[in-house]
Amino acid sequence: MDAPLLQMRGMRKSYGGVEVLKSVDFEVRAGEVHALCGENGAGKSTLMNLLAGVVAPDGGEITLGNTRCAAFAHAHAAQTAGVGMVFQERSLFAPLTVAENIYAGRQPTRSWGVIDHAQMIRNAERLLAETAPDISPRERLQDLSPAHQQMVEITKALSLDARILILDEPTAALTETETTRLFDLLRRLRSREVGIVYISHRLEEVFQISDRVTVLKDGAWQATLPTHHTTPDELIRLMVGRGLAPSPPPRANTVPAGPPLLEVRRISDPPGLASPCLQEISFQVREGEIIGLAGLAGAGRTETALTLFGARRSAQVLVEMAGQPVSLRSPSEAIDAGLGYVSEDRKESGLFLDMSLRRNVSAASLTRFGRWWFDDAGEKRVAEERRTSLRIACRDVEQDTAHLSGGNQQKVLLARWLQVDPRILIVDEPTRGVDVGAKAEVHRLLRDFAARPGHAVLVISSDLPEILSLADRIYVMRAGCIAGELSRAEASEEAVMRLAAARQSPAPLPSSSQDRLA
Amino acid sequence: MSPPAANASPRRVGLSRESGLLLLLVVTVVLFRLLFPVSWQQFATFDNFASVVRNMAFEGILALGMMLLMIGGTFDLSVGALASMVGVVTGWLMKEAGWPVPFAVATGIALGAASGFANGVVVAKVRVNALITTLGTMGIFSGVALLIGGPGITFLPPSFARLGQSEWLGLQAPVWLLAVLALGAHVALAHTRFFRQFYYLGSNPKAAYLSGIPVERLQMLGFALMGLLAGLAGIVYAARVATASSTIGVGKELGAITACILGGASLQGGRGTAWGALLGVLFVALLQNMLLIKQVRPEWQGIILGAVLVFAVGVDSLLNRKQSR
Repeated sequence: MDAPLLQMRGMRKSYGGVEVLKSVDFEVRAGEVHALCGENGAGKSTLMNLLAGVVAPDGGEITLGNTRCAAFAHAHAAQTAGVGMVFQERSLFAPLTVAENIYAGRQPTRSWGVIDHAQMIRNAERLLAETAPDISPRERLQDLSPAHQQMVEITKALSLDARILILDEPTAALTETETTRLFDLLRRLRSREVGIVYISHRLEEVFQISDRVTVLKDGAWQATLPTHHTTPDELIRLMVGRGLAPSPPPRANTVPAGPPLLEVRRISDPPGLASPCLQEISFQVREGEIIGLAGLAGAGRTETALTLFGARRSAQVLVEMAGQPVSLRSPSEAIDAGLGYVSEDRKESGLFLDMSLRRNVSAASLTRFGRWWFDDAGEKRVAEERRTSLRIACRDVEQDTAHLSGGNQQKVLLARWLQVDPRILIVDEPTRGVDVGAKAEVHRLLRDFAARPGHAVLVISSDLPEILSLADRIYVMRAGCIAGELSRAEASEEAVMRLAAARQSPAPLPSSSQDRLA
Repeated sequence: MSPPAANASPRRVGLSRESGLLLLLVVTVVLFRLLFPVSWQQFATFDNFASVVRNMAFEGILALGMMLLMIGGTFDLSVGALASMVGVVTGWLMKEAGWPVPFAVATGIALGAASGFANGVVVAKVRVNALITTLGTMGIFSGVALLIGGPGITFLPPSFARLGQSEWLGLQAPVWLLAVLALGAHVALAHTRFFRQFYYLGSNPKAAYLSGIPVERLQMLGFALMGLLAGLAGIVYAARVATASSTIGVGKELGAITACILGGASLQGGRGTAWGALLGVLFVALLQNMLLIKQVRPEWQGIILGAVLVFAVGVDSLLNRKQSR
């Protein structure tokens, strides 16, 4: 057994009192692809950010080759030591050429700091010959496909003499063929004794490319296994097995579901335009139900909600509300049809941060306060009522929403949509970044909303325990499709993960588990 | 009814930008009184006041439209050129084409609205940045004005000139027009549902869209209203001097933006009042008047006004930053 190229011991990190990494050990050998698995929030990205010097650890020790230190002081130090990170969001400059991107900030120069373009292009050509010979160093990055952009980023990392290459969800934006090409490149790098850390939600890929796999859960190390000695089922169990973490109580005896309220017959994106590309999405929501829409990041849940809400105009939509076909070409049409949407990112696309609480509450129901002359007193009264009933902590209703806590901001958004009183409320990540108390209140609000006659809720959440405790039924999405439907009885974290993470393709899976993967 | 202070986007505890500007205006006037008692005799007369407000009417009308756009998070650089073009076209129609005055005026106003609407379509539907769009149309409008009117069209019919020259209570028609428009803009922005939507649009366009606010329609309508007001300003000015000049609007768009920012608007949008726009224009007009009375060379006016703008907005930004901590 050769000595590991990289060793991380006892890595710890807390954010504001919450431990996101609890003394994690991790190692990578030269010429190995080491997969790193875990649910959203398990600590994979944090661990890699420590390694790349982007985040400072609270404790632990990193040994890379001959260098041993407590931490890399900054990203540049990690780079010099030989760590190359390919970021989830690419860190490249779109309008510049491939060569300029590879040599950003360290272009070969002649005297007086004049860039030697010819030299730079020659150097880039030599590097690309090994990684992606079909890319010309003169091309502009923005003209390349996502896959090629990623190749450029890998080339850049290698040009910095990276001995450890970190790939964080590298295939999220890639097609099947592009993924194959990426894997070819990774295999070539492996034979050059580069150590590769491969983070992915897609278990099939983990089994295709990796030599060993490490599983993290809730910031703690679970296991490190040789890939060919394990199965997808075992990995899923390691990833979700909750152990001590208390799971919230399931919804008390469910109301028998009423007649169908929303019938999504078909939502499809025109092929080749969007990623993820929605394909033949169809599902049903009945009166009184809370429906969960689960899936991994990038599976198309938010896109489905936005399409339903009329905010993605390119998609083809065939939807019936209470048996009647409805037109959903803009959010205002969707609101008229009886839909409401609480967006995923409350600061970016939800709140009017520099406006007062009362203005935020009334924003989606302005016509209720007068078609022409605006009823300020009525608006204020309504805001006061909502503030009291939702227990929003604030100075008064004239306070800006910018400085409210996350939980209170979320309640302001809910207040806005309760004021509209849609028949179906779509909530996207309703409790992200919200404290436990407010989370429970939001859950109670959603249950109360669905329990009112003629109403229903559609919940999108990456928080599995949340979806399991709220939803009467769960649709699991994967790569732009509905991968399956789970009743309350069938639903478990493992069942959801199995539908969300697998992919039907002739992957070299151990035969024992193949039949169990949908 | 809520107090007027709550009509703007209510955002802070201290002075609103509007009251801050009012304070600055009062301080400036008082200083002038104390420092230059002799000139004060010249300044503090009704005739002087009447001339100040007469001169501010043109930019005042532009500033009201600009304020609406800036609340909605955008602006229009073409309005000065548009005012010139509409003035010249209206003058040409009545003088060279022999149209009756009311028809020429109505056509001019419609041309203004249509040109503004065209700006709006390009910005909202084609999604070209407003700076680029209106920079382009500024060139087009001023070119058309020069093509049709040469340097200008003089000796316009007296029945037209009366529109801009008649007086009531010692103030000329353009001043009254500005007053009526300002009142209308105030009522619209502070008390109507429709115009309130512009605050949401400017504060967060994405959130506004997802709240069912018709974002594109508002933008197009805002530009159309701006164009209509610019046309009106161009016509009224041409009537007052009985001449349609092709260059009357040069630089006036920047004057209007300056006034709006002094009066509480922000380039980020979501903030501002009609009252603030009016106050901004009045402040600039008074300052220019004082400099004129003191016979300060015109070169200095730009320097002083520029410094005041940066100073006022800088102080406001510093105070704000302190408060938000």
